[in-house]
Amino acid sequence: MIHLQNIEKVYRTDTVETQALSSINLNVAKGEFLSIMGPSGCGKSTLLNIMGLLDEPTRGSIRIADSTADKLSDKQLAHFRNRTIGFIFQSYHLINDLRVLDNVELPLLYRKSTAKERKQLALEALEKVGLSNRTKHFPTQLSGGQKQRVAIARAIVGQPEIILADEPTGNLDSAMGSDVMDILIRLNKDEGTTIVMVTHDENMARKTHRLVRLFDGSQVQ
Amino acid sequence: MLKHLFTLIWNKKKQHALLILEMIVSFLVLFAVFTLIVYYYTNYRRPMGFRYDNVLSVSYSSQPGSGSNRDSIYNVFQTLRRSVKSMPEVIEMSYVSSNSPFSMNTSNNGVSYKGVSEMTNYYTTDDHFPEVMEVKMVEGRWFNANDALGKEQPLVINDVLKEKFFPNESAVGKTLEFGDGMHRITGVVQTLKDKGDYAPLKPGTYKRVRDSSFMGRVLVSYNPAADAGFESRLFITFSGVLKNYTIEIERLAEKRVIMNNTTLVPMIALLVVGGFLIVNVALGIFGVLWYNVSRRRAEIGLRRAMGATGGGIAGQIVSETLVLSTFALIIGIFFAAQFPLLNLFDMPSGVYIAAILLSVLFIYVLVIICAFYPGRQAAQIYPAVALHED
Repeated sequence: MIHLQNIEKVYRTDTVETQALSSINLNVAKGEFLSIMGPSGCGKSTLLNIMGLLDEPTRGSIRIADSTADKLSDKQLAHFRNRTIGFIFQSYHLINDLRVLDNVELPLLYRKSTAKERKQLALEALEKVGLSNRTKHFPTQLSGGQKQRVAIARAIVGQPEIILADEPTGNLDSAMGSDVMDILIRLNKDEGTTIVMVTHDENMARKTHRLVRLFDGSQVQ
Repeated sequence: MLKHLFTLIWNKKKQHALLILEMIVSFLVLFAVFTLIVYYYTNYRRPMGFRYDNVLSVSYSSQPGSGSNRDSIYNVFQTLRRSVKSMPEVIEMSYVSSNSPFSMNTSNNGVSYKGVSEMTNYYTTDDHFPEVMEVKMVEGRWFNANDALGKEQPLVINDVLKEKFFPNESAVGKTLEFGDGMHRITGVVQTLKDKGDYAPLKPGTYKRVRDSSFMGRVLVSYNPAADAGFESRLFITFSGVLKNYTIEIERLAEKRVIMNNTTLVPMIALLVVGGFLIVNVALGIFGVLWYNVSRRRAEIGLRRAMGATGGGIAGQIVSETLVLSTFALIIGIFFAAQFPLLNLFDMPSGVYIAAILLSVLFIYVLVIICAFYPGRQAAQIYPAVALHED
């Protein structure tokens, strides 16, 4: 599903050059639940951004869902992200001025769908994460765990083949973190969604199919 | 997407209240400016209805203690007419009341027909006025000496008054109750814009001067080939007949410019004030949008991650501002619409409607210009960086 070959990422300023990733070769199979671990600053989020086509590698090639991502235009990249990838972030990134239902509908705004279809799909996604009774709430009226579940609903509403989760339980206590983790495992098991998750939590990582460790931008396991 | 933007802006209405208020005030100022512009332009496009080149306005006033009886006034004015007409440069001359074209004077009188009254501009002239001013008769003819013999006094009305009293019939031969008695209409003249190019067309009546009346002004049309000394020779001619009178000669074309300036100067002042306000509003919108884009970097990054293109983000920023201005315009139009509905300031409804449309268009264009650059900046936000910042 995801094939990374010799990925390197270098950040350059006028005076400093930082090697964020070097020689990453990684294959993620369809339906796999992969976790990425490593100390802060080792390049986990950078790797996830590259997999999500939010960032470009300095060198190397990426194939996702049988498409080569190297030469896609801005419009093609946007379309690809919208159709194929769902994102979950540590800090949720919900829009506080929109109600829960509107937040969940967000990815569907960038594809052809009617308001009725959007609402229907968003309600189904919220049902899956157990928040169908919070559709009219604003994000500021929710707990951290509920916010992350809304973010998961937003990630799955477009029925993407891949979900990229950047420390989804990082801001949650263990009980809420477990709830979120259970939802992700269920998604992977029941719907065959490929999930790549960056985490600091060894316990969470152990629940996934495979663990990849990074250190100083290189893959060590 | 539009519904989404409306929802987003509506949910943030408190944050945008000041900007909306600023847009409402700008709209109302623009509405006032455009109302005047449309009104003056509409008036400007209408024909003047008379000539003003190569026409002199000669005013004279007797000095205190030099009063004369009516017979001698008649004789003096006949002598003056013969003397002026004998000048080779002079084409024609006409005695007129002091509210002659491009003068600051006005004279009003009520006129009624079948119980309906109308306030009109009231002019007194002689039989030669149409030749001097080259006015255009729409119906009938100008009055002449024969009309003075009739039971009713002759009267010429303009086409504005004709439309009010006789919209679908001829006015000639009809009698109007006017001032000192009944008057019979001999003709309808095309309305003269005698208060300048930007003046509105108003109902007017032209009454024939009585032979024995004192008229303090003469209009003289002259040959364009007249030399520079013509005006001084004319002055000498007037001085020779009107002894002990103060005489002033003015060119009608110059009086027109002065009259137009009295209309344009306040208009220009209003435009300058309006211009400053619009610049302030534009800078305000620009600043608020700029601030919004930098405050919403994470949201923009998120939207990019969810499938928005760079162009889509720029379009969203512009569209959001258009939605915001639509909220302001709906309120502004509500207030502006009261002017035509309540017929305030007695202006045609079309002027107000055109002014509303122009103001709406101006605000939208202004908003698009102001939102364009912040929108472009937003489009260039790198999603990976923006999502990492929050």
